[in-house]
Amino acid sequence: MSSSEVNEKTLENPYPEVQEAPRYSCSLAGAYAAVVGLYGSVPILHSGGGCGIGQLFGQFYAGGENAPGGQGGTSTPCTSLVEQHVIFGAEDRLRKVLKATTELMEGDLFVVINGCVPALIGDDIDAVVKEFKEKTDNKIPVISVNTSGFAGNTYTGFEKFFDSVIDQYLEPLPKQKYLINVLGVIPFQHVFWKGDLERIKELFARIGVEANVIFGEFDGPAKLKQIPAAELNIVLNPWVGHDTAEKLKEQFGTPYLAFPSVPIGPKQTTELLIKVAKKLKIPSAKVRSVIEQEERKAYRNAEYFGDALLIGLPHAYTAVVGDSATAIGFTKYIANEVGYLPELVIITDNPPEDKRPEILKELSENIDCAVKPDVFFESDTHKIRLLLKNNRSYLVLLASSLEKHFTPEFNNALHLSISFPILDRAIVERSYVGYRGGTTLMEDIIAKYAGPL
Amino acid sequence: MHADHDVHLIDKKLNLEENTCPNREQRANGINVYYGPVTDLIKDARAGNLKTRERKFQQSAGCTLNFYLTVRISSIREAAIIYHAPVGCSSSSLGYKELFRGIPASMGRPDFDLHWMTTGISEKDVVYGARDKLRWAIKEAQKRYDPKAIFILTSCASGIIGEDIEGAVNDVQPEVKAKIVPIHCEGIRSRLVQTGYDAFWHGVLKYLVKKPEKKQEDLVNVASMLSYTWQDRIEVTNLLKRMGLRPNFVPEFATVSQFEELSEAAVTAPLCPTYTDYISRGLEQEYGVPYFMYPSPMGFENTDGWLRKIAEYTGKEKEAEKVIEEEHQKWGPKLKAIRKEFEGIKGNGQKVEVLGALGQGRLLAQLPYFDELGIKSSAALAQDYDNLILEDLEKVVEKVGNFNILVNTFQAAEQAHINKLLNPDMTLTCPFQGTAYKRNKGATRVHALRGDPMPWSQQSAYAGAVAYGNFLLQAWKSSSWQKTMMAKTKTGIKDWYFKQPNPLYYLEEEEV
Repeated sequence: MSSSEVNEKTLENPYPEVQEAPRYSCSLAGAYAAVVGLYGSVPILHSGGGCGIGQLFGQFYAGGENAPGGQGGTSTPCTSLVEQHVIFGAEDRLRKVLKATTELMEGDLFVVINGCVPALIGDDIDAVVKEFKEKTDNKIPVISVNTSGFAGNTYTGFEKFFDSVIDQYLEPLPKQKYLINVLGVIPFQHVFWKGDLERIKELFARIGVEANVIFGEFDGPAKLKQIPAAELNIVLNPWVGHDTAEKLKEQFGTPYLAFPSVPIGPKQTTELLIKVAKKLKIPSAKVRSVIEQEERKAYRNAEYFGDALLIGLPHAYTAVVGDSATAIGFTKYIANEVGYLPELVIITDNPPEDKRPEILKELSENIDCAVKPDVFFESDTHKIRLLLKNNRSYLVLLASSLEKHFTPEFNNALHLSISFPILDRAIVERSYVGYRGGTTLMEDIIAKYAGPL
Repeated sequence: MHADHDVHLIDKKLNLEENTCPNREQRANGINVYYGPVTDLIKDARAGNLKTRERKFQQSAGCTLNFYLTVRISSIREAAIIYHAPVGCSSSSLGYKELFRGIPASMGRPDFDLHWMTTGISEKDVVYGARDKLRWAIKEAQKRYDPKAIFILTSCASGIIGEDIEGAVNDVQPEVKAKIVPIHCEGIRSRLVQTGYDAFWHGVLKYLVKKPEKKQEDLVNVASMLSYTWQDRIEVTNLLKRMGLRPNFVPEFATVSQFEELSEAAVTAPLCPTYTDYISRGLEQEYGVPYFMYPSPMGFENTDGWLRKIAEYTGKEKEAEKVIEEEHQKWGPKLKAIRKEFEGIKGNGQKVEVLGALGQGRLLAQLPYFDELGIKSSAALAQDYDNLILEDLEKVVEKVGNFNILVNTFQAAEQAHINKLLNPDMTLTCPFQGTAYKRNKGATRVHALRGDPMPWSQQSAYAGAVAYGNFLLQAWKSSSWQKTMMAKTKTGIKDWYFKQPNPLYYLEEEEV
């Protein structure tokens, strides 16, 4: 079955939104995940009472068993709308909860996120927020994100959050040399966000570049404010974050560079560093020296897992299931660095049609292997299961925890959760990014089969 | 609004002709907030003075759909669940493939497969309606999974756009083998999540329960909660087995057939009375299956009473007495030892104090059990209150005396406040309740979860009473996590709130 055949088959479904367990939530959840990942800010859900606790399970626990802290889940202020608000309007309710929240909760930025209910009854939350800002003497920063549950998914909601930030919060700043923003990594949805962003920041620091990773930093609102000062934006995703980058280019003249994923292992990391350094005109001798030191160490360490790899499970056929960026990053690492054979890639985040050729190119031209993967775009967990069952040879399955208990159907493949949702691992500092990241991945894979040699 | 209500619970007939149940607010004068001595609450309830009031500061703590129904109904076997909702309403069900998988097959966990779908209500649907889409989804679920039942769960969005769920179901039922069960759990319909339970049971009664073909005199319906672990099931099963009886555990992890045969049981027994209420009443009304509401099998005396009540309806009085005696002999000394150890903790004759966050069911069952352990409850935090438990609550007060009660629908800031205010020796939290665990004394879980197979996690019956007693003693041995997190992290709430005495600082005066 070629990928085009299956894509045609999926077209038979007149209602593509009808599916089993898609691996993302609604657009409220995407904006909400962003705010909970932006330390120092407080989300306020203008929604039904279950929207926060629903995402506690569906976005935060599913994002590597993470408790979302003092602003997330059951701690999240919420207008908890019911029928009477549908009938009489909910703007007054929002006014009260907004005021009380700014009195009670610590925060440098308050973000009102709209759910289905106010969107359906036509409440003007932007007006309420504007009025609140004008009325308060102490100029408490509040912005509103006009999402709703039915207007998209986690990915589009995340993009909407940045839309609001750009429109309501950012002001032009003089450009700061060697400052870059990192875009396209969604807190919790990109399960390894905390570890990955920290490593990316450290990595760029090695070549004298200050990377504003925004999320997971204690002064999140200040980091947002700093965005217009960057001389370059980098987007670590083949499609998420691109709209934001375009908008930043329009508004603040910041150019951007897209990279198809967070860089996993030495080769991708070197490629990213060279690309960014070139764009920023950093002296190449300096960059080369960093790359040489890092690669030397990384590959010295790779020697340590070499025997377990070559004797235990060498050149295994591999299936990868995940969002576009995750699928690309992991597939390229296992194919291009440790000699696994990428048999099958299932992409679960419904990238827009116009971005798909680029994704397919990454997974063919940039794979250094006689085996090029069959690539499917599929977000329906039932269909993903059928694709994985379909007479395949793979013995390694890098996927989500939805696949974990079905490996008898999947060639009894070794399974490791690397994409959302991950409910079978606590992912806090874990990262597969950078020069050391590949080794970390192999440690986790080998731990699944290792024994005395 | 409450003028329309009966003072006590409405003991009227359940109307299964209707598409759904009344809300708890109407059916049993349910309230979302109260703070004060439980005797005042009882007085107010008797006088018809209970009020639902809005909070100016509120936190997300659940709707009729999320999270109780989403995470529980997705574990029904031989079924398909369809969320007629935007994609986010079902994301909490993403754990369904892993639920119950941690239980080894050697512990009696059967092979199973679970299925749920979303209709992913979109912008287009809210303009043009999503009825055809729902019909298509139902047929697709039939084709894919060949289930025995298809549950349709509704949402705020489907409710507000006025989707005709019953119309779609009636259209499509003739083409579909599975029984279609619509459940009206639109998040906006009620402030009390327990309305969702009733809505679920309404659908089960109306569409799924079959007329009894035969009476199964040894079958005991047991509606179990999220917090009852696999060991609790094993324990309850074994006790009933020794009386010559079998439990029919619903809804979690039950097969569709188990729902169908609810009507054939000898009795419906509670693990959580207010969760079970609607199905219990319905089964009696429609099929003459008797039920009781109190007690639940938590702690020795409660379990004695639970077994005796079941025996009453099954004619197993002698067998029950034998089991009770044997269990007391086996576990009684162990409970006594635990009690002694608790007495020794303070060393001055004073009891240790715990503060637990509970549902209504636990409120009734746990306080007498804590009394047996020799523990005092500083106060009770209840998720909500309604008159379904009024009489049983009076019995509890007779037994354990007066105590303060905070009815607070899982409000995390209020819970943190009352914990600081009362400063109990041990805080018992549900795992989903914010930062109340950061404190200078102990904090532990009030219960484990259904997928937990470990013997030490059980709470039901005699073995469970001892297991949780030991668990609590263990909790007393360290508070390093709680203290460290208190010292090193923040709560996100400003200090002034904790420095003033009222956890309900932001309560609106007027009734909604």
